Amino acid sequence: MKQEKQKSLATKISLWIVLFAGLIFISALGVFFNESRLAVQKEAIDHADQVLDNTVQRVDNIMDEVKVATDNTDWLITRHLNGPDSMFVYSRRILQNNPNLNGCSISFEPHYFESKGMYFSAYSFNDNGNIITTQEGNDHYQYFYMDWYQMPKLLDRPCWTEPFMDVNPDDITSPEMIISYCKPIKDDNGQFIGTISVDLSLSWLSNTIEQVKPYPNSYSIMIGKGGTFYVHPDTTKLFYQTIFTQTLLEPDTAITSLGHSMQAGEEGVREINVHGVDCYVFYKPLTDTGCSVGLVCPVSEVFSGYYRLINTVIGTFIVGLLLMLMVFSSIISKQLEPLEELAYQAEEIASGHFDDELQESGHNDEIGRLNNSFRNMQQSIVRQMEELKQTNEQKGRIEGELKIASDIQMSMLPKIFPPFPERDDIDVFGQLTPAKEVGGDLFDFFIRDEKLFFCIGDVSGKGVPASLYMVVTKALFRNISAHESSPGRIITSLNNVMAQDNDSNMFVTMFVGVLDLPTGRLHYCNAGHDAPLLIGNIGAGFLPVDSNLPVGAMPEWDFKQQETLIDPDTSILLYTDGLTEAENISHDQFGMDRITDLAHRLQKERTFIPTAIIGAMTEAVHVFVGEADQSDDLTMLAIQYTKHHQDITFQRTLTLINDLKRVPRLNTFIDEVCEAVGFDMATTMQINLAIEEAVVNVMNYAYPAGTKGDITIEAKSNGTEVMFVISDTGTPFDPTAKAEVDITLSAEDRSIGGLGIHLIRQIMDHINYERSDGHNVLTLTKQINK
Amino acid sequence: MEVKINTQDSVTTAQLIGRLDTPASQEISGDFDNLMQYAAGTVILDCTELEYISSSGLRLFLSLRKAAASKGGKVIVKAINKDIRSVFMMTGFLNLFEIQD
Repeated sequence: MKQEKQKSLATKISLWIVLFAGLIFISALGVFFNESRLAVQKEAIDHADQVLDNTVQRVDNIMDEVKVATDNTDWLITRHLNGPDSMFVYSRRILQNNPNLNGCSISFEPHYFESKGMYFSAYSFNDNGNIITTQEGNDHYQYFYMDWYQMPKLLDRPCWTEPFMDVNPDDITSPEMIISYCKPIKDDNGQFIGTISVDLSLSWLSNTIEQVKPYPNSYSIMIGKGGTFYVHPDTTKLFYQTIFTQTLLEPDTAITSLGHSMQAGEEGVREINVHGVDCYVFYKPLTDTGCSVGLVCPVSEVFSGYYRLINTVIGTFIVGLLLMLMVFSSIISKQLEPLEELAYQAEEIASGHFDDELQESGHNDEIGRLNNSFRNMQQSIVRQMEELKQTNEQKGRIEGELKIASDIQMSMLPKIFPPFPERDDIDVFGQLTPAKEVGGDLFDFFIRDEKLFFCIGDVSGKGVPASLYMVVTKALFRNISAHESSPGRIITSLNNVMAQDNDSNMFVTMFVGVLDLPTGRLHYCNAGHDAPLLIGNIGAGFLPVDSNLPVGAMPEWDFKQQETLIDPDTSILLYTDGLTEAENISHDQFGMDRITDLAHRLQKERTFIPTAIIGAMTEAVHVFVGEADQSDDLTMLAIQYTKHHQDITFQRTLTLINDLKRVPRLNTFIDEVCEAVGFDMATTMQINLAIEEAVVNVMNYAYPAGTKGDITIEAKSNGTEVMFVISDTGTPFDPTAKAEVDITLSAEDRSIGGLGIHLIRQIMDHINYERSDGHNVLTLTKQINK
Repeated sequence: MEVKINTQDSVTTAQLIGRLDTPASQEISGDFDNLMQYAAGTVILDCTELEYISSSGLRLFLSLRKAAASKGGKVIVKAINKDIRSVFMMTGFLNLFEIQD
């Protein structure tokens, strides 16, 4: 794949270069070829023309020789007309002087010489070098009728005959085509007396012409006045065909035109197709004879050198281009090798092998720079990947830890609902929806000594810092309220701890309530939190609260506690600002109005069940918020209080003064009560112990030493349980607020005190303290197990 | 409430008779102060006839136990009835004292 890509790139570039080079060469060669063709053509025409000129010149020269020889003999003849036999000498001498001549006759009019009779013609001919001289003319060969004799006589001037067959029947030589120069012989009176005729062998002439061969397949032709072929390589055409014969079968205007031009004695050159071969025909007339000589040269041969040149050049050109292609391809491939290596490395990296070491390029060119840039990029990627990996690991770890933290945080909240299934006087439901993994909201509740301790809080900020603060707050709330029943003091203690060393200046808005379940009395303290809603039979509205300060804001702040009486069947709804400030996508807040509207609706519908209240509120918020993200923790806690309707079946009261000596009286009273409600002896003894501890406690601590005071013990029963209500008017004292003794400690470590309240808790089922109307009211309850 | 103290060699036996309620504890606190003197040895609190014990009574027991612990002696509680045993259990005293039947 890489190989192919890389190859194709090298090939592509090479091809483009070669293509361009080819185009340039072709253009140059085109011009070159065209020019050289013209030059070659001109050269060929000139050459052929010259050759033809030379030929015609040679023929003319021969003919001139003939003429000269004839003219030189002419005057001798007229001078020696008196000696006819000398004619033989002259005839012979001409041949002797001109070996090229075939024959010579000096012929006279019939009966010119009386002595010679009717016929006298001195004829010499060249028989292969031997000159033979005879007297010609007889009854079978009446020469004076022959053309060569008649023509000069009729024309009255020297002339060339048309070629003709020398057909003297007496001639011992083989007949042959000859052409004769004939000249009239005149006597002194200018009277025609005979003809001197010099023969030239046509074959010799045609040999001379045919010898002209400028190209291997070129040939010469000669036609007579009538267009008859006298010279032609195809001897069958000789004398029997004319130049026009062929056009009778296949009309060819070019040939016809050429024939006419040659007949007219013109000279020139024509391009003619002869039997399928393109030829140049150069033609020129032969002087005096009326013949025309043509030189036929096949175009291919005229241009053969040119074509060879073209072929060589084109061959060289193609070979050169191929070589160029190979060389360029090879060079580019070689140059691209680092790029190929780089591409391979890049693919390796792309397939995830980031760690592959990339070689540093030694090249200083663009590819080298690319290689080095890529190498830097790869190293950078490896570094970034490593960092990303670490970051992801870290993030994963943090997320994991956050999840654990979230689990821990959520597990710290009450999560079993209903929390007090055995009780019919109280129902609680709480719900916390954090905006992030961990949040800063909290709620908590528990029952201690017939009091419901509950709180809701919202730590400033969100996320981990808030969650840490939340955990501390909740732990402290539990810790402090384990032995402190006053919400004011609980919050004050909390505040003192939290405000100390509060370098991060975090704080918690908080509401802490302590609901006395037997009486419905609610003590509460608000630390900068939203006022809870009360929804009950008589209506719905906010609990009036002092805002105080948020917890942690300022140390040593004295938080004011408030109290109210909760009507039976009333529900208390506590919430954080995640409810009031829940935002929809338009950033409108859910707001207090919607909350109170909903509260009124719930009140009208008599919906007081905690899960129903919170469910309705949650749904309303969700509908309002819609698609918007939850911006803050949303926490709600609903408490429904339903007072016991006690059906007292037994009631007895004892009042004692604060004197320990009255304890036996107390024991007697307890024994009587226990017997009346049906406790067994062992339980009776234990109840005795518990009540004695409680009463002695009051005797010892409620009133200042030396002052008298009353202690009232009211015992009442509804058949299922017995309540002992111990009340006094002494100084406020909450025995339930004492820390539990640790009974597992060794004797040395154990304190002497605290045993009494411990025994009370052990023995009785419920213990409840209330400071009410200037009275300390301690209620101890014991179930009757029948 | 009556306490009978009988010392033989290093073993001091205190017989507790009656109800050890809060007033009774005050009543017999002097006797327990006496018993402290023997805390270096073995003090047996014989509860055979002890009917009832309040937290003040338990405090007396614990004070004696602490004294014995500091002096290297020991306190044996003998023959407590079922009810008192349950009180001992509730308060963890079963672990603090050597109990004899």
